[in-house]
Amino acid sequence: MATSTSVPVAPPTRLRRLVDRLPKVLGVHHGGANYRYVDSPGQGPVIASRAAEAWVRTTCGYCSVGCGMRIGVRDGVAVTVQGDPEHPVNRGRLCPKGLSEHLMIRADGRLLTPMVQGVAVGWDDAFDVVTERFKALIAEHGPESVAVLSTGQLVTEEFYALGKLVRLGMGLAHYDGNTTLCMASAVSGYKLSFGTDGPPGCYEDFEQADLVVLWGANIADNHPLLTPRVLGAKDHQTLVVVDPRVTKSAMIADVHLPVRPRGDIALLNGVLVVLVEEGLVDLDEARARVDGVDDLLAHLDDWSVERAAHESGLSEDAIRDLARRIGSAERCTIAWTMGVNHSVQGTHTVTLINTVALLTGNIGKPGASPFSITGQCNAMGTRETGFTASMPGYRGYDVPEHRAELARLWGIEESRLPTERGRAYPDIVNAVMSGQIKGLWIIGTNPLVSFPNREVLELAFRQLDLLVVQDGFETPTTKVADVVLPAAIWGEKDGTFTNSERRVSRVRAAVEPPGLARTDFDIFMAFAERWGCRDELFPGWVTPEDAFGEWRKVSAGRPCDYSGITYERIAAAGGVQWPCPADDPDVPLGGTARLYTDRKFNRPGGRAMVHPVEPQPIRDAPRPAYPLLLNTGRTVEHWHTRTKTGRIAVLEGLSPEAWVEVHPDDAARYGLRSGDLATVRSERGVVERIRVRVTSIVRPGEVFIPFHWNERCANRLTDDQFDPISREPNYKQCAVRIERSTA
Amino acid sequence: MSIRPRGLVEDESPPRSRTVEVEPDGHRPELLALDAGEQYRFGFDMGACIGCHSCEVACAEQNGLPAGTVWRRVGEIEGGDHPFTRRFHLSMSCNHCLEPACLQGCPTGAYIKLDNGIVAHQADDCIGCQYCTWNCPYQVPAFQPDRRIVTKCDMCQPRLAEGLKPACVGACPTNAITVEKVNVAEWRADHSAADAPELPDSSITLSTTRITLPEGVPLETFAASSWNLRPEHPHWPLVWLTVLSQVALGVSATASTTTHRFTAFALAAVAMAGALLHLGRPAHAWKALRGLRRSWLSREVAALSVYAGAAAGAVVVPELTVPAAVLGGVGVYASARLYVVPGRPAWNSPLTIVRFFATALATGPALTGHVELAAVGAVLAVFASVANWLRLSRRDEQSWIGSVQLELHWFRRWSIVRFALVALGVVAAIAGGSAVGIAAALIAAEVVARWLFFVTVVPLNMPGSFWRHTVAGQR
Repeated sequence: MATSTSVPVAPPTRLRRLVDRLPKVLGVHHGGANYRYVDSPGQGPVIASRAAEAWVRTTCGYCSVGCGMRIGVRDGVAVTVQGDPEHPVNRGRLCPKGLSEHLMIRADGRLLTPMVQGVAVGWDDAFDVVTERFKALIAEHGPESVAVLSTGQLVTEEFYALGKLVRLGMGLAHYDGNTTLCMASAVSGYKLSFGTDGPPGCYEDFEQADLVVLWGANIADNHPLLTPRVLGAKDHQTLVVVDPRVTKSAMIADVHLPVRPRGDIALLNGVLVVLVEEGLVDLDEARARVDGVDDLLAHLDDWSVERAAHESGLSEDAIRDLARRIGSAERCTIAWTMGVNHSVQGTHTVTLINTVALLTGNIGKPGASPFSITGQCNAMGTRETGFTASMPGYRGYDVPEHRAELARLWGIEESRLPTERGRAYPDIVNAVMSGQIKGLWIIGTNPLVSFPNREVLELAFRQLDLLVVQDGFETPTTKVADVVLPAAIWGEKDGTFTNSERRVSRVRAAVEPPGLARTDFDIFMAFAERWGCRDELFPGWVTPEDAFGEWRKVSAGRPCDYSGITYERIAAAGGVQWPCPADDPDVPLGGTARLYTDRKFNRPGGRAMVHPVEPQPIRDAPRPAYPLLLNTGRTVEHWHTRTKTGRIAVLEGLSPEAWVEVHPDDAARYGLRSGDLATVRSERGVVERIRVRVTSIVRPGEVFIPFHWNERCANRLTDDQFDPISREPNYKQCAVRIERSTA
Repeated sequence: MSIRPRGLVEDESPPRSRTVEVEPDGHRPELLALDAGEQYRFGFDMGACIGCHSCEVACAEQNGLPAGTVWRRVGEIEGGDHPFTRRFHLSMSCNHCLEPACLQGCPTGAYIKLDNGIVAHQADDCIGCQYCTWNCPYQVPAFQPDRRIVTKCDMCQPRLAEGLKPACVGACPTNAITVEKVNVAEWRADHSAADAPELPDSSITLSTTRITLPEGVPLETFAASSWNLRPEHPHWPLVWLTVLSQVALGVSATASTTTHRFTAFALAAVAMAGALLHLGRPAHAWKALRGLRRSWLSREVAALSVYAGAAAGAVVVPELTVPAAVLGGVGVYASARLYVVPGRPAWNSPLTIVRFFATALATGPALTGHVELAAVGAVLAVFASVANWLRLSRRDEQSWIGSVQLELHWFRRWSIVRFALVALGVVAAIAGGSAVGIAAALIAAEVVARWLFFVTVVPLNMPGSFWRHTVAGQR
């Protein structure tokens, strides 16, 4: 990558260097000047290098908790950050990634100039090349031949603009985001149960509930700023953690249920059996509001607590205990994340959690909801505004009223709206592999590390005629791109993020992007110009706020109603939760905390729906050649594929390399000790020289590898099997074998 | 491998309830003013800590610490078997001890205990000798390479002075870390709340950090760092300082010619000059003489310097030979004593003193032609080593048995080399071999032995994370 040029200076002579070094070698001074404390008005006494002159309020750009923070700026450089004590989400505290986020802005490895085939070019050239070649592909092979993969990391305004650009301006058929790799099952599950997406609860529920069940959610590592909520409620709350591993979150639980991988459907069915058997649900009340109750009951005839225990790996007592706790709780919140979503049955597992909540009345009231904790900082923004699984505003491609409404709002012919969602992420990869998709534009994501079965993806990328990658940092994916577009990153852009509890918070630019990097919004507008759709689709848009203004109108009246949310209102409230209709005096300043408080759902008749679910066996199950089950996940020090956190020394120091957790019994069987380097193989690929950690965090027969690392990439092993509804990958169960690496 | 903590239960599925107050709005309460007889200290609630490492990052940012210099660390402790595995995290920076070993050993007086109890390190007075890093049983003081001095946690003293919380306390999402007041006399009488599994005994330095242990800590625990038994830094200048000064002593004590006396002086002088290379700030080496009343390191510097002077005098005035040898003995004694510290169990024994004098006996006399005497010294040195291994094998803590494992397994080749050299020297001495050859073999044996002495010591330390010692500078 090109770096900034500097004027060459004649190298000092050897003697000169020696003389210069002498005071240092002799230790005449101790370098105290570099470690001087100053009294900074906004910080108190602090080391001078971190003292800020101005503060910019923003929202963290890593996970979906959506912590409010302030970037401290001095001389145009982000020198520090602080948790925003006024922000309703995190009340002034941050996790280690947030606390070092200013270092990310200045980190090495930024993309500074557009590149075409490895050659630095100007923006005009880059736009021309991409536009001409995509147009040529479309002319020759049709709009099916170019696809876009975006992210959950842009601001909402950019997502809204990008959706219009891709689906209406460029007229592309296939557009999806990496949110399909993390939250799609929650989206699909909510849609099946309630008619639309949208997490019904809020973070306050974690405090108000008398029972919180964290289902496949290791918040202590992955959403650290949610843990104070449950820790602070210990006096009136029971915390249950359902997770095969003894995670950090399991350690703060009152009850840990070490469910067998993929055993959670059996556990949920067992819970439903007990709830029904012991009269802990009011079936008549349920039938009055919910469809599918009798089908569900009929399905439960096939189930018993005994079967649930057998298939979940838990005791019958543990299942009964959980069911009774849920059935008797005044307020029960069941919150889940990737342990549920990352499954070939993710969507259906989500519906089962929703079913438990619906039948026990744990929805639409304080402390009670089936709550999906999102992954990325603005996965929610793209779920609502995106043009992927649904049209903007949770509108269906096949719903005539929605189509008519959008066409009217945008002043375009209804026929220009796509009639179907197009290919989802894994299906785009398949189409690349088969040569149907020849041009791919990747924005803000690093599939080479994050997509399952990397060997196949690498092969697929080689089939492409044109791979365009737009990102802030050099990544394994930018390295194989034909065209690289340098984007501004968090701290350099304006807009909004929407967090897991539907809270819209402001993101603000604190510093200028380096080199030629431009905001994604600017890049999209420039492409719109090239594609001749700027004036039509983005009339008068100059700043992201213009996009926000249009999105407010487009979302009005929809479940995700932003019409009452303005930048000013966000500033006043710290963050505003949708739905927030304009001019509705009943909605508080901070928006609507919970959905479905009137028990009216977004399905026909306002009725929710429950679905019977039968577990499927694990496809790539352990067998003699691959006797261990691999689970993947994350660690608190790193963010996704480490394109950011891998560049921050303090975080790298805390978690410097990938590891594989192996139970002591398995370690003895395979001759492994902690610290050994091991080779892990699946049918699809191999991870070599990965550090062994012998620990009882994992069960015998199971191993765990965090997915963050490019070298020792867990996704060389994972099974590329996908949920048929959400298309989310089954990251968490595949068969591997392990052996000591030879030197 | 565990210390028996308070409130311990063996129940495999114990209740896990606890209350953590989450402070609203993150405002900063004023710290309470200290009453007479009180000092500030850290409190740590192990059950509230989720191992997020925010405190470490906040500390590094507050103090602008370069990569690799860490004032606060979070360790991990594990016990039990799946699904009843228990894991705990221990966040620790300086314990601001009542009897700080760092302060007591410091040759320059760089450490002071402030009125509010904080053990403060003053950079101006630090010469980078790193003796405090050997003394602290928690491995708190850290040598900071860019400054060539030791630095450490001062509880964000400038913030405390304004009534503000230290950065780590302010950053902890679960309020697991606090700053509180403690009555010094009461704590001195009962400091058991400073103990935790895998942590050095608080009675060594009277650590003031109050640790609240969660319920149900298993009887058997291990630190996540325990797999990674690593050699320590060899400190080559100190290998030369100690071996050469001991060779010099052996020569002085058996000197009969001017050549012998000059050899003793030259060795002592080179040893002292070489020692300067050990310091981060040799320009300030003279400050090492400040701590004569307290620090064995100061006494070593003083005694060996005086010895070198006397040895020089003896070259001119042979009558000074015996006084010089006596002064050399004092120097070697001071030199040995400074290694006898609780923070390094492998050294913390009179055997260290025996070994240092045995080295003098094994080497110097060989240079003055007393090869039989040297052979006795070499055998004595070997016996002292073996005795030390037997001593260290009695306890299964890594800081004890680990030293033996390093010497006899990790460095087994070098141990064999050492024994072979001793055997060669002793056999040659008995068989009447060349004195020069015998001296060469025995001196080489002692250099190898001394290098092993430095690299095989396993310091006491707080329990570490799985990654301890995998990155440069990690303690």
